[in-house]
This record gives sequence, structure tokens and C-alpha cells, in this order.
Amino acid sequence: MKIKVTSVYVDDQDKALRFYTEVLGFAKKTDFSQGPYRWLTVASPEDPDGTELQLALNNNPAAKVYQQAIFEQRQPAAMFFTDDVKGDYERIKARGAEFTMPPTDVTASTIAVLNDTCGNLIQLTQLARW
Amino acid sequence: MTDREQYAPGPARGAEIHKDGEKWTLVLVRELRHSPEKVWQALTDPAHLREWAPFDADGSLGTVGTTVKLTTVAAPTPHVTETTVTRANAPKLLEYNWGDRDIRWELEPLSGGTRLTLWHNIDRRFISMGAAGWHICFDVLDRLLHGTPLGRMVAGDAIKFGEWQRLNVEYARQFGIEAPKWPPKATQS
Repeated sequence: MKIKVTSVYVDDQDKALRFYTEVLGFAKKTDFSQGPYRWLTVASPEDPDGTELQLALNNNPAAKVYQQAIFEQRQPAAMFFTDDVKGDYERIKARGAEFTMPPTDVTASTIAVLNDTCGNLIQLTQLARW
Repeated sequence: MTDREQYAPGPARGAEIHKDGEKWTLVLVRELRHSPEKVWQALTDPAHLREWAPFDADGSLGTVGTTVKLTTVAAPTPHVTETTVTRANAPKLLEYNWGDRDIRWELEPLSGGTRLTLWHNIDRRFISMGAAGWHICFDVLDRLLHGTPLGRMVAGDAIKFGEWQRLNVEYARQFGIEAPKWPPKATQS
């Protein structure tokens, strides 16, 4: 058993795909549709066969309520790890993303939080080395 | 070997694309050796739909104005949408939505059978996938009506997955579009 896919809810899958690829720099991995259902995932170009992130449409009431509630609590919907959070912060900010938290030292790591424009906060984490 | 194991869908055929700007509609035609009344029942009755359609319905689709929940079969996560039947002129014309897309069925009597036409305005990026999926569904429908059911096979059915991928590529070629690269790593032999 492996952790191969995790999901975030998004309010628009096309908009989300643009943001997660063009702004964050991930690559589209799987995109197929069956009737009204669309399975859409991205992966990191640094780990193309690694864990995928599913961009799931929040087209059911429970998903919308959940997404909105954790957003209002400023809770990240997903967390990505990086070796260079300051570099990623500058790169992603230059592509127009809004950060709700610039790189900030916390226990054992440096974190930054951005708005994915699809209803989520996303946390970038760089573990401290000591 | 069972019928289901022996079944192989034929080549891509009977499909056209109608283009209205960015809005593309898949048009599939299939001649069935059964009466329009029998085909109508297969298109509207939940017990029949469960044997061949890519969705389950929690009520009959045969009455105009009814609201019915459609559950996409074999989606990677559960997926339910609500549909409203907008036209139901038995046994000739049936219209409803599936998600934000329109489905229209037309049944024309032939000698000893029915010419069934489906209009489905699938997103252009997924239209060859849809044609491949409906192709297999129609084969299963034909066998069901004939009294030799194969059992429902939807797009992701493991047994016929390679055949579905082949049809997807063939339809994409017929429609003059690039075949969707899915799955990303070629798994077909």
C-alpha cells in the first residue's frame, strides 16, 4: 500500500489546472472524463511518478462547506515540501500568486502560505536542517 | 470462455462530430434489431439502464419534468448528478442532461428494428473517449435486447480497457483530433 494520490477541492478544474501548472510549476499527469466526471491530477516534475495531486471539482454541497470552512479558518488544504521555500516564494509570487504568509520560521521548518485562487490555501514547507 | 470474455468491440464507426464553434456534439448512430418500444424501455427504465448504461438512475427517465439522480458508474470516486427530463416522447425522442451536458436520443423505426441516434455535447477534449465508451455501451445494449447479455462494461472496465483505448485512438483519428494521452504511460500491448 502506498500513498499515491491526495486531493484538493477546486471550484473550477480548468482554472485550477492553469494555476497548478503555470503558476506553481507542476505538470498535468492524468486527465480523463466519464460523463460529467473528470479525473484530473498533477505531479511534480521533480518526481513525475511520485504522489499525484487530484484537482477535484467541489460540485457537491458537503465539499463546498468543508472547503469554505477550512479556508476561513486559514487552514491549508494541502502542503507541499520544497528544498528552497524562499526561492519558490519569489518564483511563484512573480507569476502573480497571492501569499497570505511570506516565508516564516516555525518549529523545525520554514513555511509560506499562498492562495490557489480555487478556494484553498496551500502551504509550502521547507524542513530546517540541523 | 464466457461471452463477456470473447466479446471484442469492432472498429470505430457510426460517429460524427457536429461543431458549433467551441461547442462540439458527438452524434452516434446504431441500428438495433429491436422495436422502438423495446429500445425506449432500455433507455428509460432504471432496471434496464443498470444492465448497459454508463450511469445508474434512481427513477424512470421516461416522463417529462421528472428529476432523477444519475450516478456515474465506475468513476474513480462516487459521482452523483441530478437530471431533469426535458422531452420524453415515447418511443421517439428523449432529452435530459447529464451533469452540465445534454443528452438527446432519437428512435426511428426500421423494418424489424430501430435506428438509434444519440447526441451528446461532450467537451471536445474528451469527445473521443466518450465515443469509445458509448460504442461499447451500445454493443452491450444490443446484446441485452437480444437476450444474450454480456453484463455492463463502462469505460474503465478492466477486462476491455485495452479495447476502449484502441477505440479512443480510432475515434480521435476519425474526428481529426489528437488522441488524449491517457493513461500517461502506455499500458496497452
